[in-house]
Amino acid sequence: MDKENKKATEHPLSILANEAYQAFSEMGFEIALGPELESEWYNFDVLNVPGDHPARDMQDTFWIKDKQGYVLRTHCTSVSARQIEKAGKEGRLPCAFISIGKVFRNEATDATHEMQFYQIDGVMIGSIEDGISLANLKGVLARFYKKMLGEDSEVEFRPSFFPFTEPSIEIHAKFKGKWLEMMGSGQLHPNVLKNCGLDPTKVQGFAFGGGLDRIAMIKWGIPDVRLFYQGDLRLNQF
Amino acid sequence: MKISYNWLKWYIPEVPEPDKLADIFTYHIAEVEGVEKKEDDTIFDINILPNRAHDLLSHQGIARELASLLNIKYVDSAPEYKIPASVKALAGKSELKIDIQSDKCRRYMGRIIRNVKVGSSPEWVVKHLESIGQRSINNLVDAANILMYDCGQPAHVFDLDKVEGGLVIRNAKIGEKMTTLDNRDLELSGQDLLVADFKMALGLAGIKGGKIAEVTAETKNVIIEIANFDPIVTRKSAVRANIFTDARKRFENDLSPELGPYAMRELSALIFEMCPEAIFEDIVDVYPHKQGIRKLSFSADKISKILGLKVSVKEIEDILKRYNFQYKENKGKFEILPPPMRLDLEIEEDMAEEIGRILGYDKVKGEIPEINFKPKINETYKNITFARNKLLSLGYNEVMTYTFSDKGEIELKNSASDKKFLRTNLSDGLRESIKLNQLNAQFLGMNEIKVFEIGTIFKKGKEELHVAYGDKKEVKEMSLAEYTKSAGSFLNGLAGVGDPENRGPEKMTLPMKFQMWSLFPFIARDIAVFAPEGIKSVDVAEVIKENMGNMVTRGPELFDEFKKGGKTSYAFRLIFQSYDRTLTDAEVGDIMTKITNKIKENSGWEVR
Repeated sequence: MDKENKKATEHPLSILANEAYQAFSEMGFEIALGPELESEWYNFDVLNVPGDHPARDMQDTFWIKDKQGYVLRTHCTSVSARQIEKAGKEGRLPCAFISIGKVFRNEATDATHEMQFYQIDGVMIGSIEDGISLANLKGVLARFYKKMLGEDSEVEFRPSFFPFTEPSIEIHAKFKGKWLEMMGSGQLHPNVLKNCGLDPTKVQGFAFGGGLDRIAMIKWGIPDVRLFYQGDLRLNQF
Repeated sequence: MKISYNWLKWYIPEVPEPDKLADIFTYHIAEVEGVEKKEDDTIFDINILPNRAHDLLSHQGIARELASLLNIKYVDSAPEYKIPASVKALAGKSELKIDIQSDKCRRYMGRIIRNVKVGSSPEWVVKHLESIGQRSINNLVDAANILMYDCGQPAHVFDLDKVEGGLVIRNAKIGEKMTTLDNRDLELSGQDLLVADFKMALGLAGIKGGKIAEVTAETKNVIIEIANFDPIVTRKSAVRANIFTDARKRFENDLSPELGPYAMRELSALIFEMCPEAIFEDIVDVYPHKQGIRKLSFSADKISKILGLKVSVKEIEDILKRYNFQYKENKGKFEILPPPMRLDLEIEEDMAEEIGRILGYDKVKGEIPEINFKPKINETYKNITFARNKLLSLGYNEVMTYTFSDKGEIELKNSASDKKFLRTNLSDGLRESIKLNQLNAQFLGMNEIKVFEIGTIFKKGKEELHVAYGDKKEVKEMSLAEYTKSAGSFLNGLAGVGDPENRGPEKMTLPMKFQMWSLFPFIARDIAVFAPEGIKSVDVAEVIKENMGNMVTRGPELFDEFKKGGKTSYAFRLIFQSYDRTLTDAEVGDIMTKITNKIKENSGWEVR
């Protein structure tokens, strides 16, 4: 009978996060987690975001009262930075990390903006001889989006700018014949490698990051990002 | 930045058609936010990237970029300017005095122009300004604006006769007051940079002019300003004063002071065209902080390694020539002198980006690296997966709630919402969730609501991953570590995702579509049918389906079944709900009556 067959339901973002972890694990990425309440150092400074950068303004970032120099992380790139720093110290290069976690932005909410959401962030570095390049970035993300959005999905690069990557690339993925902006990415900026204790003349690699909620909204046609955090079981349809 | 196609065409007559141009912007330069057809013109709204704001926030900048990118002709307008003859200060009048007292002003060029006639602008000026959404004000102000949108250099015009003595570029005194051109009263801080005369503030440097020396219809003599200010000081000052202007945007992104002489010549020529009777005095150029010559070295090999694309020396040389970069090449190693405006080009990686985007990133072919990474298992993630699977197997449904709360131990300094604390537990959110879902229990087809959340909580001095689960009677919460310890008898040997040795079956979700629920209330109705032997539940469900209309969002769902005296009782539940209105009991009652009557038409069927 229906009643007995009814299984407990999982949150759509958990389903998607597991699929994403699975896809990246198969390509050699190691799962990484990190703190949500993060130091300004790992959230901004390490990533070559200058002290006067507009992103540090009050309106974008949640700052912690009575705890100078701490923020709610605005991206999981902080986790990537912590991981490559650690891997470098432990002599574990080449290495690749994938992190899916909650991030925060202090902005007015609407159907496509929420103060908390999930981000997928990844990094892959190796020696100059390993030569981890933009071609590798494209290969990895193309396979990822095929897993997430279907075999007919493609990715393309468009020029962009981020303080922590050079060159910087915007990733667009094709879904049902339409190009959609999915991620920011690029080769890690030498300053980021230096800040993580690595030697940019010896190490190179890429990093990428983008919203998980956005993939869920595109993949399943979920109309409003705020539905994810209401605790409403009507969301658990998959 | 709004860019007029016709304006571009002045400089690059061979510019491709607008449709094609949009793709060129997208794949080689920056995102096109909008394309608007306007009479005989097309206006592009281009989101210039911060690292190109030094040189691309202007029509000439874009035209130069396109000319080099596409290898088409660039028509330099400078030789066509009518250059006014310049004179020393008139007899009995003193020369323009410029005193830079702050190192945040890198260059200040000023020029006195006498005998100007303030009036309306020539038609082409009005048209150009209107095409990019700007309003014509008067010929002198328009000339300064045309200059900025044309070559990227902001300019300002002061009424000379309202200026006391000369110009001083200095920090404001704490509490000093100024009224802007648009009549806003500012109270300044010691960090604000001012353009002042010997007495008063004439303008917030690089951001907004002041009321005192405003050009009006009566103005006869002016000072034109072509200056260069420090980006950080400009930004901080503008944020404090909450002023957004196109001049601010350009200075806060850092402009090259080397643009000054060109801009001074263009602005003078524009004013000369509008006021042929004007007398131009000699340019006064104070340039204490000269922009240095920058050298940049890179190799074809390194560029190829970064891009993952073999780029030849010849391809690079071709690009450097098209972009007019001075360079030396030796065995694939290049040394270049980037043009002064290209402040974005500092390191080898910058050139990888430059060459990559010019060649087109579609040339970079995807390739999964063949490297044997040795990933370790993430224990925390393994525990999260264990806890989730365990709770799901016990019939708990997963939810996510907000990290923000109206009480807690960690407070936010700033928040767009009224919840200014971080949660200290998951239980409070979970209880709200249970309450909400209880209302929809019938819709969800659940007899009791059981939910769980795995998430981070924040206490003074630490954040911790917690697990909470429960129903309307009780909610339990503990740390993830405690949960896995207490429930972990079968944890040993459980492989998590990410375990390279044991990846487990691939789980792929079906390509399903999300069904948004109705925001109107639902009505649940049950119907129990006694049917003779041989009649299956699907037979009864079929009759219900045929007669239930199109307002059923869930069901018929069999929730009870038993046999008695050779007959079987089937109990179904129907959830009625509309997407555009609240249903009434009466209309649902009518549908149920119709179903009941149809069922009774079958011999031996009985509605209990």
